[in-house]
This record gives sequence, C-alpha cells and structure tokens, in this order.
Amino acid sequence: MKLPATSSSKAPVKFRMPTADNLVPIRLDIETEGQRYKDAFTWNPSDPDSEVVVFAKRTVRDLKLPPQFITQIAQSIQTQLTEFRSYEGQDMYTAEKIVPIKLDLRVNHTLIKDHFLWDLNNYESDPEEFARTFCNDMGIEDPEVGPAVAFAIREQLYEIAIQSVASAREIKISKKGRRGAEHAISSKGGGNALDLMKLFRYNSSVVRKRKEWYVYEPIVDILSNEEVDALEAREDRNTR
Amino acid sequence: MAAKSPVKEPPGTSAVNPTTPLAPPPVKPELPSSSEPDVVNVPSYSRWFSFDSISECEVKFLPEFFDSRSPSKNPRVYRYYRDSIVKHYRENPSRKITFTDVRRTLVGDVGSIRRVFDFLETWGLINYFASVKTLKWEDKETKSSAASAESSSALKETSKRLCNGCKTLCTIACFACDKYDLTLCARCYVRGNHRVGVSSSDFRRVEISEEARSDWTEKETLQLLEAIMHFGDDWRKVAQHVSGKSEKDCITHFIKLPFGQEFICKESDSEDVDNKFFSINNPSDAVSESENVGATSPSKRMRLTPLADASNPIMAQAAFLSALAGVEIAEVAARAAVTTLSDVDDRASKGSLMRNTRQQGMNSNPS
Repeated sequence: MKLPATSSSKAPVKFRMPTADNLVPIRLDIETEGQRYKDAFTWNPSDPDSEVVVFAKRTVRDLKLPPQFITQIAQSIQTQLTEFRSYEGQDMYTAEKIVPIKLDLRVNHTLIKDHFLWDLNNYESDPEEFARTFCNDMGIEDPEVGPAVAFAIREQLYEIAIQSVASAREIKISKKGRRGAEHAISSKGGGNALDLMKLFRYNSSVVRKRKEWYVYEPIVDILSNEEVDALEAREDRNTR
Repeated sequence: MAAKSPVKEPPGTSAVNPTTPLAPPPVKPELPSSSEPDVVNVPSYSRWFSFDSISECEVKFLPEFFDSRSPSKNPRVYRYYRDSIVKHYRENPSRKITFTDVRRTLVGDVGSIRRVFDFLETWGLINYFASVKTLKWEDKETKSSAASAESSSALKETSKRLCNGCKTLCTIACFACDKYDLTLCARCYVRGNHRVGVSSSDFRRVEISEEARSDWTEKETLQLLEAIMHFGDDWRKVAQHVSGKSEKDCITHFIKLPFGQEFICKESDSEDVDNKFFSINNPSDAVSESENVGATSPSKRMRLTPLADASNPIMAQAAFLSALAGVEIAEVAARAAVTTLSDVDDRASKGSLMRNTRQQGMNSNPS
C-alpha cells in the first residue's frame, strides 16, 4: 500500500484537543502553610469561568483544606485554562501522525505501565473510553485508576498538540518559497511520530515483531503498603 | 453492588419502586453480615427516580446532557455519572459523600460531574438524612441522630431542645414549663403558641449555651448542695452525686448561686419575671411612641398576654427579641435606647426653631 507523498500533509487545522471532547487536563500542585495538595482532573473549557471558583471552594470544603487554598486553586486552574485558550486561535498541523503514548503512573496501590500507539488525526478518539475499557479488561478494582489513566493520555495528547502548534509556527516562518515544507512537516511533527509510509510498505508486515511485544504490553501491579510508602517518599524528594 | 436494596421512606413520604413493572422481579437481596436490612430513604418529591430510566425532571434540570451540543455529553454519560454517584452513596447511606470523593472515581470533566452531584443532592437522592436538623457542631453525629430521630421530639435531652409549638430546634434561649413539661422556642412563647390553660407566667427562660449546658432544675441544685455539704471540696464526688453534670458545671453553678435571702425568694421567681416583663413594656412603649408620635397612654397595666398579639409587628419583634435576650439585657437595652432618644431630642431642639419637637419629646417621655 503505497501512499502518495502529497497526502502526508494536510491543511492546517485550528487548535483543539485531538479527541472527541475538547477537554483540558488540569494539574494542581499547591503548597501553603506546610500542606500540600496535589490533584489532576479534566476540565471542560466551555464551562463558564464562575465554575472555577465554585470548584475551588467545593474542593477546599470537601478536603477540609485551609481557606487560603481557594484562591490558589482558582488561580492555578484559571492560568491553565487561559493558556489552553491562547492556543485556540492558532493553527496546528497534524499530518498523519501516529504517536506513541506511554503510561507510567501510580494510583494508590496500583501501578500501571503501558505503551501504545494513538492516532492523532482521529478527532473522534476518546481517552475516557480507552480508560474505561482498560480498567475493565485488566480487572482493576480501584475506581480512581480510570480517571487517572484518561488524564495521563489526555495530558500527553495536549503536549503533542501544543508542539504541533509551535512547529506550525516555525514552518510558517521558514515556509517562504520552500517546497520542501511538506516533508519538513512530517519530520518536524515530533520525532516520535511513526511514519505510516514506512510502516505500510508492501514488503513489511503490520504485525509486530515478537521481540517487541514486551514493550507494548500493559503491566498492572498491585503494591503493598511499604512499597507505596517508599515510592511516595521518593516522589516527594524528587519534586522538591 | 449488584443487589437492589428495597427502598423505604420515613413517615410522611411515599413509596418508591426502584424497578419498572416490566423488569423481572428483583432477586431477594442477600443481607450483609449485619442484621439490619438495607434500607435507603428517599424523599417523596424524588419518587420519579429509577436506575432504569431518565425522567423529565432530570432532563429539565440538566439540559446539557440532552441537547446534543457536545459529543461527550449525552444521556449515556449522564446515566453513568448518576448511577455511579447514587450507588457510591448507597454503599453506606449513613455517611455523607462529598463531590471530591466522587469525582476522583469518575472519568469525565469535573464541571459536569459537579452539576450532576449537586442535582442529586438537592433532590435527596444522595446524602439524605431523614432526621431532625442538627446543630452545626453535631454534624459528625448525623449517624446517631438519624437513628434517634423518632426519640428526640419531645425528650428533654441536655443537648437538643425541640419546641413543642413549632417543632424546630431551639437556639440561644428557650422557655420551659416544668408544670406541664413543655418547651417553647422564643418565637412561640412570645406568640403565645401554647395550649389553652397554660399561661406565659408558667414558663421560665432557659439559656442554651454553645456547649449545650442545660439548665439546673431545683432537684439538681438540691443534689448539688447536699453533695457539697457531704463532700466539701471534692468536686469529683460532687459531680458524681449530681446526675448529669460535669465537675466544671457543678463548680460554675455553685459560684453563681445566690446567697441567703435571695435564695429564699426563689419561689417568687416567676412573678419577678412577670414584673420585669411589664416594666419592659413601658420603655418599649416609649420607644414606639417616640417613633410613631402616637398617643398610646402608658396604661399598660396588663399581663404578659398582649405580647401574644402580633398585630403590631414592631411590638411583636421587640417582644421576641427581649424574650430571647433575657430580662436584664432587654431592660438595660430599653433604658439605654430611651435615654439616647431623649438626648437626641434635646440636641435637635437646642438652637433650632423646633420647639414643638421638644414639647412632644417631653410629653411622651415617661421619665
């Protein structure tokens, strides 16, 4: 199956999350008065801004945090939202990009490692659906794992989307008269992206080589309390 | 939670059938290890709720899931949120779940989850405790108060006092009648909201302080005095002897006890209350007179009953406030108000052409 070279470039699209729902991953890591609050969740950018304060107040109330957290949480969310919105007017080139997504996260006692490919051009893709299926298939009991997995995927897609905006800008600058722009796009859009043309050449197979299976296999580990404590201590040290 | 728990309501609400008629009859739920059956209380205005369907009510209040404007918000997602939240709550109905608990376990955007959560909470499908509203510091004990909902209505518990008239919780102060074993909140007392045959003078004011220290009945005071006679300074033994009072309470009360003659005159307490009340009447009248420039003569040599007449809302409010604050405070406040008013009047008329005002001020001033 040979694909003509020109089809690897596409007209630029307006920035958005390359998923069915345009949801923003928000990460919070706030420390005040000796208390640390870490969280990660998904936000809908079309919600009114008043929702930010409501959410901040609610969270502080539910988690019984000191009230100084309210403004800090609200500000952090607002900053990330504004950043997301600043990308929104701009163009991004997505070309035909299949990107690897890596999962390496710990949620309470469950450790998850996985590595798979994701089609960036599929705007119907749904990280939440993936997360639900993943948890069902792997028999994960902790209900907090699903959202964390969805969040991790979303965060990486967001990163990649931002990069493609940046690279689109670079290309525009350097584009004047350059015919090789199309090739530049496909090579610039992240060194990780797989080149479909190479993959689907007539003499290669889509079936993955056996020796590479272990790389793409999901691993789910349940940790003991001591292991969790040790990991948490290490994480804290790393982030300080 | 695969088993569907039978749903029961507290008295006053109607039955909810969690399964539709077409569904197969529910399997008899296996009882958990505790001997109590699984029951969940649902308010009658939420009887439309069913796991198997979405009602108009839900469509109306959460339109975002039903207007197809966003691909991620559709009825299926709504049901996923709703059913997960309700099931999460029903796993332990006596515990209040928070939005944060729930949103960490649901895949989706937190704004929508919060709206669904708030909707369910407002309609009593989650966090619904069919019990008497407890005071703020008793939030942790919602479990125990849910259990004792039936028993707390007329009992004179040391921490909770319910008004017999309007069935609300009394705060700040209430009025107790030992003769007929009644408790009235300040509002009901002032309005005369009690049985015929019971007069306002039968009530005494009881203060409800933050630590819910209850009043001392005659019996308890007697016990206290006996105990002090026997045990002297040993407050621990004294507290043991007096039922239901801590050491600190005993000491505090003892210090506050009046001595000698005042103590003997305690029987006339209720009459004292009356007299003080009607002496308040006059200053309060003065206040309203200077306000209204009306000519109500100070011939209010009447009993307490006029307070029950709420036709003059200002009087009723003043009466309510003075009953709530207590005799001494109300008296002092009224006197201070009267004094200030006459001062203001004097100042206003000094050096002004308004001699009439002073005239009126002097006339209506009972001093």
